[in-house]
Amino acid sequence: MTSRRVAAGNVAMKEALELLCRVPAHPDSRCWFLAWSPGGGLLASCGGDRLVRLWGREGQGWSCRAVLGEGHQRTVRRVAWSPCGSYLASASFDATTCIWKRQEDGFECVTTLEGHENEVKSVAWAPSGTLLATCSRDKSVWVWEVDEEEEYECVSVLNSHTQDVKHVVWHPNQELLASASYDDTVKLYHEEEDDWVCCATLEGHESTVWSVAFDRSGERLASCSDDKTVRIWRRYKPGNEEGVACSGTDPTWKCVCNLSGYHTRTIYDVAWCRLTGALATACGDDAIRVFEESASSDPRQPTFSLAAHVPRAHSQDVNCVAWNPKEPGLLASCSDDGEIAFWKYQRPEVC
Amino acid sequence: MASHFSGVLQLTDLDDYIGPSQALFLFQECIKPVKVEKKPGKAAAKIRIEADGSYFQINQDGGAQKLEKAKITLNDCLACSGCITSAESVLITQQSHEELCKMLTFNKTAAPNEQKLVVLSVSPQSRASLAARCKMGVLETAKKLTAFLKSLGKCGVHYVFDTTFSRNFSLLESQREFVKRFRKQSEDKKALPMLASACPGWICYAEKTHGSFIIPYISTTKSPQQVMGSLVKGHFAEQQHLTPDQIYHVTVMPCYDKKLEASRPDFFNQEYQTRDVDCVITTGEVLKLLEQEGVSLSDVDPAPLDTMFSSAAEEELTSHSGGGSGGYLEHIYKYAAKELFGVQVDAIQYKPLKNKDFQEVTLEKDGVVLLQFALAYGFRNIQNLVQKLKRGKSPYHYVEVMACPSGCLNGGGQIKLDGESSKDQLQQVERLYESLKTEIPEKNRTVNELYEQWLGGVESEKAAQALHTEYHAVEKTSAGFNIKW
Repeated sequence: MTSRRVAAGNVAMKEALELLCRVPAHPDSRCWFLAWSPGGGLLASCGGDRLVRLWGREGQGWSCRAVLGEGHQRTVRRVAWSPCGSYLASASFDATTCIWKRQEDGFECVTTLEGHENEVKSVAWAPSGTLLATCSRDKSVWVWEVDEEEEYECVSVLNSHTQDVKHVVWHPNQELLASASYDDTVKLYHEEEDDWVCCATLEGHESTVWSVAFDRSGERLASCSDDKTVRIWRRYKPGNEEGVACSGTDPTWKCVCNLSGYHTRTIYDVAWCRLTGALATACGDDAIRVFEESASSDPRQPTFSLAAHVPRAHSQDVNCVAWNPKEPGLLASCSDDGEIAFWKYQRPEVC
Repeated sequence: MASHFSGVLQLTDLDDYIGPSQALFLFQECIKPVKVEKKPGKAAAKIRIEADGSYFQINQDGGAQKLEKAKITLNDCLACSGCITSAESVLITQQSHEELCKMLTFNKTAAPNEQKLVVLSVSPQSRASLAARCKMGVLETAKKLTAFLKSLGKCGVHYVFDTTFSRNFSLLESQREFVKRFRKQSEDKKALPMLASACPGWICYAEKTHGSFIIPYISTTKSPQQVMGSLVKGHFAEQQHLTPDQIYHVTVMPCYDKKLEASRPDFFNQEYQTRDVDCVITTGEVLKLLEQEGVSLSDVDPAPLDTMFSSAAEEELTSHSGGGSGGYLEHIYKYAAKELFGVQVDAIQYKPLKNKDFQEVTLEKDGVVLLQFALAYGFRNIQNLVQKLKRGKSPYHYVEVMACPSGCLNGGGQIKLDGESSKDQLQQVERLYESLKTEIPEKNRTVNELYEQWLGGVESEKAAQALHTEYHAVEKTSAGFNIKW
């Protein structure tokens, strides 16, 4: 790329990602993570101030609708909505996960899940809403089941990772769970007889894998890492046309694309928009980037190009990016600077 | 290196970020601060750690001196809440089949008055695993194993016993303890549920993670391994006119966590500076011994079994009903039904709950629940049990808790057979384990005689000492550094 083209590109990119509004969501603290409610109307944020806050649109801006306090003793690292939108789970460094239930006048903590030995790093609800996954610095991934009486039982403790587990996420429509770890791998799990087992290990990243995201179909997975790359993995079922080897009846996940050279520091989060297919990243270099898949690209070797890049999206590390599930192009991001930023993304024509 | 401990002990509180303060830590994964002794001399010496973990003192003149590496004992590990797994390397140096070989070599060359009597007690779970591996019956395996051990290292092991015998005491004491607790449940809120105490993985986890909350619920009855320890170093030593330290007592167990149990200070005899069980080796380590000696167990000529602590007549082995983890639930249930409610229970109906490792047994009369017991095996079920207890939602009077999924026959120390699914292997081991005739502890004459002669009667002070133990909450220490993520 020549310098002139870079400059021209930057102009287009700035327009592609337009700042709508900034909110000091967790002042004097870090804002760690964001989660849109399934209906897209509320955004939950969590932070180093041990609080969870809920944000709703108000005129041109966003205002705080609720503060969920007194659930945790330490940093709240991650929040997740149940698929029905009636429950919110919060994972904390205090080794617990709280389940908050929507009431007429706010949210109430109805259960505290204990068991992890130390910091809980992530929590995620399965598409059915009856399973929940958590992961921790204690290297384990737990699967919990909830019954009609809102009682949570641990159905499995998975010790496949050899280091801190950073992130867990469910497949969009199957009971398939993915986790990312400080041991540089991504692992996938499914249920077998009456326990859960690790059914795939995705190796390739050269440092901590911070986050993973499935695409809309669930046939592909994006992972981002401290090695400054984003990798795209594709599922190949046994007997696939391409001849990718599988062991037994388990599919193989093969890395089909490696986005390197774009990020200058650790990539903390990756979000794959279920509406538009755009891929956003949150980076330790304070920037937000959006990638688009080339329309003509070969599914076995897809190509992605940088469609938007906001170098100083925040004044410190960007921790999370989240696409609104209902409104195409509405992106939220949060940072160590304690702020949430809302962005309007438009796929550039040059892309 | 993959850990050998039960799943419960694999969850570790280790840090992945090596902070500067860890300069003082011995094992990369151990957070217990250990003092490295500096060599005397100039005050401003620095300590450098090499890539291999060795310590060097850098003197002011720039010269480097290698420092003694401090050693962590198993007791240090047990007393520390830093991580749940105790360092495996510590166990391997202190308790292994190599230690047994060392002892046998020592006996060969030592003066007669320094030699030790070597007693080896084999668990029935280990015997069943070996039988499956060697494709033999359980009795044949026992006889051939006895012959092999007695010939090992020329002078060999002197006695080979069976911990099924000591399990009679564990079962009887558990039964009586339960009934006592049941009767005082209105005064003592923590009398019930009584939780099984035979599994050291569970005990270690309970002490380190749920400490003073959970300890009152745990049965004080010693495990078969530790009752055997009392028997061998107490009664048997007296009979042989030996002091406890003149006997070297080895057990063969299905589980690595048993090494931790044997190392507990509660089972150390201060007077004679000796442990009730000196060394624990796993079933897999017995196989290593056989391989090391180039012996195939099936080729060994059988030897008669030692009968001193055997339950039945010569040439016969017995077992207990109620499954491969010892049958605690079943024995206590039947005894309590009779003792507390006058109900004779012949067959027990297990009701599987969430999974095969969580099962329930209920005694009802006229629609009223009299007794409700459960089996909870494996970490996930232990978790749910503990959480239920904490929320006051546990309906149980007794729970047979075991750390390993499927219980002791599936212990981490058992032999893994090549080319067979773990499920098939386990079924074989279960079938062999259950092939023996079962006995009822109350009806064992030798056990009854020992209560009278050795312990001075049931419920005597000596019985309490020989057959019961206590637990200690391990205080949580906070790791000395904060992490950002």
